[in-house]
Amino acid sequence: MSKPNILQFLLRRKPAHPGAGDLKSADPERRGQSLFRVGRTKMRGGETEAAVAEFEQALKLLPNYAEAVAARAESLDMLGRIEAARPEYERARTLWAAQRPGAPDRSYLFRQRGRFTFEVDSYELALLRVKTGSFPHLACGNALLAQGHPEEALKCYDRALKIKSNDPDLTALKGEALSMAGRYKQAIEAFDFALATNPKAPETLNARAIARLGLGDLAGANADWRRQLEFLPAGQASARACVALRLADYATALPELEKAIAKEPNEPYWRLYRETALSRVGKPGDAAGLVPMGAHAAEVEFQKGVVALTGDKAAAKVHFERTIKTGPVSLIEVCAAHNELSRL
Amino acid sequence: MFSVIIYGRNDSHGYNLHKRAAISFNALAEVMSDPDDEILFVDYNTPDDHPTFPEAIADTLTEKAKKVMRIFRVRPEQHAHLKNRTHLVALESQSRNVALRRSNPKNRWILYTNTDMLLVSRNPKESLSDILGGVPDGFYQIPRFEIPEMLWEAAFDRKDPAGNLAKLRDWSVRFHLNQVVHNFMPMRYDALGDFQACLREDMFAIHGFDEDMILGWHCDSNLAARLALYRGRVDTLIDKAFGYHCDHTRVAAANNKGRKTTMNSHDRFIWNVSSPYLPNQAETWGWPDVEIEEVRLDRETSYQRFTAGLDRAIKPATVPFTNTSCEWHLFDDLTYDLPHTLPFVCDQVLTYPKTMAVMLAATRPDFVSGFATAWRGMGFTGPILVPQECEGLPAGLPGVTTGHFADLVGKTDLFIFEFGLASQKIDEPTRTGREASALDKKRLKVVERLFREAASTEAETRPAHRRLARRFIGVNVIYNKYWPIFTDHVGANINPFCSQVLAGSPLPQPTGMKAKILKLRKRA
Repeated sequence: MSKPNILQFLLRRKPAHPGAGDLKSADPERRGQSLFRVGRTKMRGGETEAAVAEFEQALKLLPNYAEAVAARAESLDMLGRIEAARPEYERARTLWAAQRPGAPDRSYLFRQRGRFTFEVDSYELALLRVKTGSFPHLACGNALLAQGHPEEALKCYDRALKIKSNDPDLTALKGEALSMAGRYKQAIEAFDFALATNPKAPETLNARAIARLGLGDLAGANADWRRQLEFLPAGQASARACVALRLADYATALPELEKAIAKEPNEPYWRLYRETALSRVGKPGDAAGLVPMGAHAAEVEFQKGVVALTGDKAAAKVHFERTIKTGPVSLIEVCAAHNELSRL
Repeated sequence: MFSVIIYGRNDSHGYNLHKRAAISFNALAEVMSDPDDEILFVDYNTPDDHPTFPEAIADTLTEKAKKVMRIFRVRPEQHAHLKNRTHLVALESQSRNVALRRSNPKNRWILYTNTDMLLVSRNPKESLSDILGGVPDGFYQIPRFEIPEMLWEAAFDRKDPAGNLAKLRDWSVRFHLNQVVHNFMPMRYDALGDFQACLREDMFAIHGFDEDMILGWHCDSNLAARLALYRGRVDTLIDKAFGYHCDHTRVAAANNKGRKTTMNSHDRFIWNVSSPYLPNQAETWGWPDVEIEEVRLDRETSYQRFTAGLDRAIKPATVPFTNTSCEWHLFDDLTYDLPHTLPFVCDQVLTYPKTMAVMLAATRPDFVSGFATAWRGMGFTGPILVPQECEGLPAGLPGVTTGHFADLVGKTDLFIFEFGLASQKIDEPTRTGREASALDKKRLKVVERLFREAASTEAETRPAHRRLARRFIGVNVIYNKYWPIFTDHVGANINPFCSQVLAGSPLPQPTGMKAKILKLRKRA
């Protein structure tokens, strides 16, 4: 794969024209992103009206495509249609903000929001000139991994590591990609390497814990999470709460959740987790722990397990087993379910 | 809502610095509307005997700018450990981190910009506080537009920021100023360092600016690369605000040597960044354990301190003028007018840290008591160290410590040597041809001996915590026999006789035999 064609690889496009290969794709995601890329090319080329048309087509396919909303807004602005552009800029920001970020105790890359088409497009352009820099490869890898494409991300990280060999941070990211691809043993080797340089890296400890859990090593995973808790600053309450929840250590999680709620009162998961923790330490909750809309099935199963624990341990066990079966190993509830099961 | 972080130094960085900085400070304050908003100016490595840069131009700042500005003064001594690693006299990463550490924790946003920027909201009714208060968490940049030097220099009124912003709205259209210069990601726009808005908590999470970047340039791009990794995206506020830069390339700044400019490595700090975090400086960025002085322009100003000190120490003059003379036949007359001289002595010390210790070797008792009163009145809390070898001086003055010179010399941060006539009274006329009495000569001899010893052994007696030479102030050392003696040992400028005061750092001591002999001959 040539350096500037990372997104093309992901979208299986021909390199002749950005997105050209996917313009006829039946997959609206691919087609929408291709239209966006064509629009960006036209925008850069001064064909602003034509670019607006491309972005509008992309938005018909993907109405919540924040990058396309923002690019359309900027194009309208460039055309002097300021009043039309203004609400569109706002809409793009609202769309990005509405996306649920990843857990705050994991690598920063899982907390990013967006499709990153604009960024990848730009990094690919940078790669046409920047031959000795690992950064664009790394950034593309992160974008791909954040979208759930570990194998493609791995290729980016490998290219970055060719330029900056043995870099512990790049190796840790490669480990994340390996872990997401289910190659836990290799992932752990990568994390071990990264941690040898910086043993206090909280996110890498979390990543290794997840990979260890993926291999069935709950004790090893818990040890890493406990170390992560040691190194996480007191100010990062939500991250600390998440680690404690993975350990099913609800007494530790509770005060951190209180702080997290104080800081982000509109985050439904902190309230849900607070209810969960209160229930597990035997304290009355404030309200029913409603699982937020769009939650993963495993999250729902876990909550059922928590409710069942008060009266029917066998039923709780079933729910926790279902949590593990249906959820990714990185999910907080899956990690907590493992710990709950180990105590039943 | 937000803390603006800028930095600089009381020097002449580029063309007409004072005007463009005043324009910028006032314009930044003008777009603030939240009570927690603040402009944090790090005054980095301004010489100790200078005021900070904003103090030097305070008369050109609006009341609002003075109110919202907090100045963090990083002393040359605090920079000394980095001095040999860089050709620069002001370091961007260290400055910005010092401010970030000490920024108002209530503020959600940090805005990094520079002292020549004006930020113009596209909706004139919206302040920058409104704008930042209304956007979601993220990392935002805006494009920078250039203002031709003639325009800002000729047409802007420093103290009319609202008028200046209105002019920009007009000029941007009339003179086609608004050209967006796109750039490779993560530097979304060219000259991105003039507007990077990010969450305060994000900056703490990634450990601030990279303090290994001490050669100048690209600190902004490094930050963009790391925040782009951390957030995934670099967002724009182009719909909300435009940034205008007062172009200043008529005269190259100290860090601009054209193609020969020394810079931080582009490859290392941008294209090979592999993590948003800087674990090696996680505990130390922004010098959390270093006491950084904070200076305000709206309270306890230097002028207020100066007058508070002198009002306590001297009474107003009762005559229209007094007389002295610098005629050569009066060379041996060491009388001087104390109430006239004391303000010039205080002027020499006012900009130093309030906690410093000063050694005062003197002949005149009224000089010691007057200076001690002014010292406290100016808000200094450090001790005045008086060698007990100097006889006839008042005892028991508040804040004055007496002891053997040998014991005190290693404790002082500054030296004052006063060469007057111990027998002179405050109401005596000056420079009328008076000769020194035996007692005067005896006292002067002691002060001279201590001066020579202090100046020639300054490096050896310097306190362990200091890396830089301590400053020497000579009182009554112009156009008399102590002029050559003082300037043999201290690198002082030529000052007007009227000030009576010279100051400078000790000169290097002669090391070769020839130099030593020459020095001895001179002394003889």
